[in-house]
Amino acid sequence: MPALDTISRGLMLDSLREYAKRKIPFDLIRELDQKNEFPADILEEMYNHDILGIHLLLIPREHGGLGGSTVDIYRVCEALARIDLGIATSVFATFLGTDPLRVGGTEEQKSRWMRRIAQDNLLVAYGATEADAGSDLVNLRTRAEHVITDGKLSGYKITGNKQWISNGGVADLYTILALTPGGPSWFLVEKDAPGFSTDKHEDKHGIRLSNTAGLSLDEVVVPADRIIGGVEGQGLVQAQAVFGYTRLMVASFGLGCGCEAVETAIRYSQQRIQAGGPLSKKQGYTHKLIVPHMVKLEAARAFIHETALRLDGEEHGLQTEGAIGKYYATEAGNAAAEDSIQALGGYGYTRDFPVEKIKRDVKIACIYEGTSEIMEMTIYRGRWQEHLKSRGQFYIGMAAEMDALHSRQPDCGADSAALGLRALSVVLEECRAQRLTRHQHVTFKLGEIIAGAEVAAAFCRAAAAKEYNEGVRFDREAALAMSRVCARQTAFDTASQGMKLVLGAGTGNAEELSRAAGFAAIMDKTRGITDDMDLIAAKINETFRPK
Amino acid sequence: MNITVCLKQVPDSTQVKVDPQTGTLIRAGVPSILNPYDHFALETALALKEKTGAQVTAITMGPPQAKSVLRLALALGADRAVLLCDRAFAGSDTWATSYALAKAVKKLGKTDVILCGMMAIDGDTAQTGPGIAQQLRLPQITFCESVSVTGRKLAARKLIDGGHEIAEANLPVLCTMVMPHGYAPAQPSFLKIAQSQEKPLESWTAADIGADENLTGLKGSPTRVDRVYAPPQRKRGEVFQGTSAELTEKLLAILEKENFISHD
Repeated sequence: MPALDTISRGLMLDSLREYAKRKIPFDLIRELDQKNEFPADILEEMYNHDILGIHLLLIPREHGGLGGSTVDIYRVCEALARIDLGIATSVFATFLGTDPLRVGGTEEQKSRWMRRIAQDNLLVAYGATEADAGSDLVNLRTRAEHVITDGKLSGYKITGNKQWISNGGVADLYTILALTPGGPSWFLVEKDAPGFSTDKHEDKHGIRLSNTAGLSLDEVVVPADRIIGGVEGQGLVQAQAVFGYTRLMVASFGLGCGCEAVETAIRYSQQRIQAGGPLSKKQGYTHKLIVPHMVKLEAARAFIHETALRLDGEEHGLQTEGAIGKYYATEAGNAAAEDSIQALGGYGYTRDFPVEKIKRDVKIACIYEGTSEIMEMTIYRGRWQEHLKSRGQFYIGMAAEMDALHSRQPDCGADSAALGLRALSVVLEECRAQRLTRHQHVTFKLGEIIAGAEVAAAFCRAAAAKEYNEGVRFDREAALAMSRVCARQTAFDTASQGMKLVLGAGTGNAEELSRAAGFAAIMDKTRGITDDMDLIAAKINETFRPK
Repeated sequence: MNITVCLKQVPDSTQVKVDPQTGTLIRAGVPSILNPYDHFALETALALKEKTGAQVTAITMGPPQAKSVLRLALALGADRAVLLCDRAFAGSDTWATSYALAKAVKKLGKTDVILCGMMAIDGDTAQTGPGIAQQLRLPQITFCESVSVTGRKLAARKLIDGGHEIAEANLPVLCTMVMPHGYAPAQPSFLKIAQSQEKPLESWTAADIGADENLTGLKGSPTRVDRVYAPPQRKRGEVFQGTSAELTEKLLAILEKENFISHD
């Protein structure tokens, strides 16, 4: 079967949306949410090859799947998140649980297990987290001891406990990270293995349709061929290898939830008449509760799409980009959902409207698959190395690229993005010279600033492109206005927060630093931002109409 | 048996508005879908295929993007698809469209049943199906709710005012389909969508179907659109209460005032 084309992706998204419209209406979701119930029958149908067969997308073609690209999978993740993040998480857990196998499995293992996941519609769970081992897996306690038969290694005896495992209580197959004599390694464990049991479904703040449970492994014996990759000690490398990819999927969860929340608010604002007119026509409402979120979400979309294309173009790893995407998009989605409750006023605070649930759901995206703070650290580490290696030229180079883009497309805000990137370079260099990265707070804040600056640059590239990706619902005039607002606001934030960071932790003169960072020029570029926001608000109302 | 289904890609009409200034459709952000009547015609064809083993060919005329409705048809079970795509077709009205589709049906070879949606939800003309039948000099049964084929005869349950009738015709015949109330179009699985990539989908130009350029596109379209506008919203009616005599007096007064009746 050939690789999936764009038409296939569009048809798959249509099928998924239609299925959700008919089988998972909001009333049912709300009921399941209140009951804290995992919809096993819905997942079964979604995995059924004749109905959707959604899991086939993540299985390579040679193993009975459809071999979806990163773009295919992120678009489906975004669509799933718009339906319900709990259901999305359950599907994603199979994606995630399969990843150690996809990345590190031997050909024989892939052929056997991936084919089973594809053909038998297995739900998979990813078992890494423990009570003392979350983002930091050094404290891993689950052990896998050798089982020796006739003087030869015949298997492993696994003992330990896992917690917060998505699909934990309902999966058919588990990938379990355990410490072998040779180091951390992934194992394939089936649900009916003697000694394996699961705990109760957790009572969570959100994603209550997703089953989350602890796992208990009491001397679970698995054959030697269940160690993924066939070699001990590869577990962390295998886990790290897919972060760029898996975090991009969580980024698309933030994007999907955020868009669903804001669009609910937009449609509400078009019908809610206050003080003689709809809220959608009032600047005080749109420019605070709608426009800034839509701008950030579209910026996140641009970055996610760009990174997905790079991953599909055989660029490996991209851990820093995955972290930037996840950090920016999930925080944007979370903030959008928060303000969407505000936008609906009292209605937003009730369970009759979806935004309250979206807000509870989307928060997890800032936590699982690496918290926002771990992302800040990851982003800082990755880009600090680039800054040092390039002797401070990394962001200067990106700024030059933005200058060139500005000369080709002067309306996308690339001039502001360039100023922001140069300011970032000045801040990083100041941090190096004053050794300010000895403060953990500084490093994490740098991670945040870097994420904003890189996303703004990606948005400029996307808005200036000849063709827009299929996820963009706005016309060129709106997209350019959005990228301008994003670039201007981000440049301002980069410079002001960066200067605050340097002056707060180190020494220096505000005026000189401000001059070096080009702060006056950045401020100058904010002229016209209100007109742009007016335009964006009008375009939003044109694009989204009451359902 | 060979069945040809004519499809049209349309904007999802539930999301389209007319710009009051320009009179044009605002299509920004509006997704395109397969015309629901055509979707039902396609499903009718696939049900006939199930019973008779017929070969189903889906055909549409439109820009390259219209290919996606053909891929949907292939994913749902059609065997072959043809896109009529040429600048020469641009601006076609229902007559020129019927002409092009009829030429394409001829090129396809032997066709026993042609199924069309009763109308497209973007134009609401209900003329293209009958136009094709006319161009091909075929019998036609319009407003069909269901069809069945026995031997060389087709029977259709046809919607008429206040009820339905059963109409029969010898093959070949063209039917236009009306979807039942609450119709939910079938959607293909991911696997079927992926497999549809390998089914035959051809693109034909005006030259490929031997179309006369004077009969296609704007040149071949007798219809002239003067302007498109959203009809003004009707004022809400007024409700009067009183005795029969009072109401009669009131009504007469209004009719007279509005010049519907006169005492002269």
